[in-house]
Amino acid sequence: MTDEDDIEALAGEYVLGTLDREERMAVSARRLREPALEAAIIEWERRLAPLSEVGAAAIPPADAFQKIEARIGIGSFSANSGTVIQLRRSVAVWRTAALFASAIAASLVVAIGIGKFPPTPKQQNLVAVLQRDAGSPAFLVTVNIEDRVLTVQPVDAKPEPGKSYELWIIQDTLGAPKSLGVIDQPKTIARPTLAAYEPDVIESAKYAVTLEPEGGSPSGKPTGPVVFAGKLMPMTR
Amino acid sequence: MASAENISVLLQRVARRDRAAFAEVYRATSAKLYGIILRILRRRDIADEVLQEVYVKIWERAADFDSRLASPISWMCAIARNRALDELRRKRPVSLEDHPEIRDIPSNDIPALEQVLRGEDGKRLADCLAGLEAKRREMIVLAYCDGLTREELAAKYGQPLNTIKTWLRRSLAQLKGCLGS
Repeated sequence: MTDEDDIEALAGEYVLGTLDREERMAVSARRLREPALEAAIIEWERRLAPLSEVGAAAIPPADAFQKIEARIGIGSFSANSGTVIQLRRSVAVWRTAALFASAIAASLVVAIGIGKFPPTPKQQNLVAVLQRDAGSPAFLVTVNIEDRVLTVQPVDAKPEPGKSYELWIIQDTLGAPKSLGVIDQPKTIARPTLAAYEPDVIESAKYAVTLEPEGGSPSGKPTGPVVFAGKLMPMTR
Repeated sequence: MASAENISVLLQRVARRDRAAFAEVYRATSAKLYGIILRILRRRDIADEVLQEVYVKIWERAADFDSRLASPISWMCAIARNRALDELRRKRPVSLEDHPEIRDIPSNDIPALEQVLRGEDGKRLADCLAGLEAKRREMIVLAYCDGLTREELAAKYGQPLNTIKTWLRRSLAQLKGCLGS
């Protein structure tokens, strides 16, 4: 069996839902870092989607939407501090969320005092939470799309002796992951490293942190395991 | 239900944190997603919880939705199915001996596919499913719609696990070939 067949069969069974728990968790984790597998999964979702019509619709409980709104947890923050970025972790939500499937989704709701930043028609500030799994954010990455400045802020990343954390941008059109530099410093780093990338690419890319030899990957390609990953989303007003 | 174009537009607004659009998406899609989740999980208490998580995820990931890759409904159904299946697999397999009634799906629970699968894609899939042997077609539907595992299918059809796996993979390969991509 070739790798291609294997990915195809695995993606098909993943979407069909017949993998057992361990296999399913393994695929959920692999799809985050294997574009070919991710693409095969999306194809199978498309092929089998009409089967979703088989089941009857069911009316959810009347209070379900209220509970969802409460979980999203917006509307309750105040603009009391114009300069402080408030981070609110929706811990309750993420504790129960599937760890692997949701690892890429941000678990922070970021609220900015609206007095400081008037709303703009196009979202210029994007944020990504890089994390190993739900509930353990390691780095906060913010990007200003207009000037393409990247800010990396450590949240809860533990330095590893003799190793460096290196940040990568991963997007289909870029081919291999591209380094955005080593992010060892214990304080916020701001750099124009994204200047070479188009806004579309920056917005749709995944961002991943690998553990590399001290000073960064010698080859320019990731050599260590992905320890944290995430995607950008617009900052909440 | 709102059209796919409308829901795509609504999701773009949700990506910009538009709560009114989110409420509309919920109104238009929640009965369908809840039906899918409930059918897989078979317990309202767990299904209620999962439904909430699914919409939280839709809120958080709306910016990831790409209308070139999937219809908005397919995208949301995939989120709902994945979350429901993760939940179902999280528990230990429900023992068929303990609760035969829970997972034993009477075959008349599966409607005639050609009547249910509508639209161009649905008709094509129904045609391709019709090309599968009856038992294998039923297995695909039970797996997709009801979340049956290989073990449960093996018990239901009285076949070894490996045979079920081989059948499933051959059926998938045949479907893929038939669907022409």
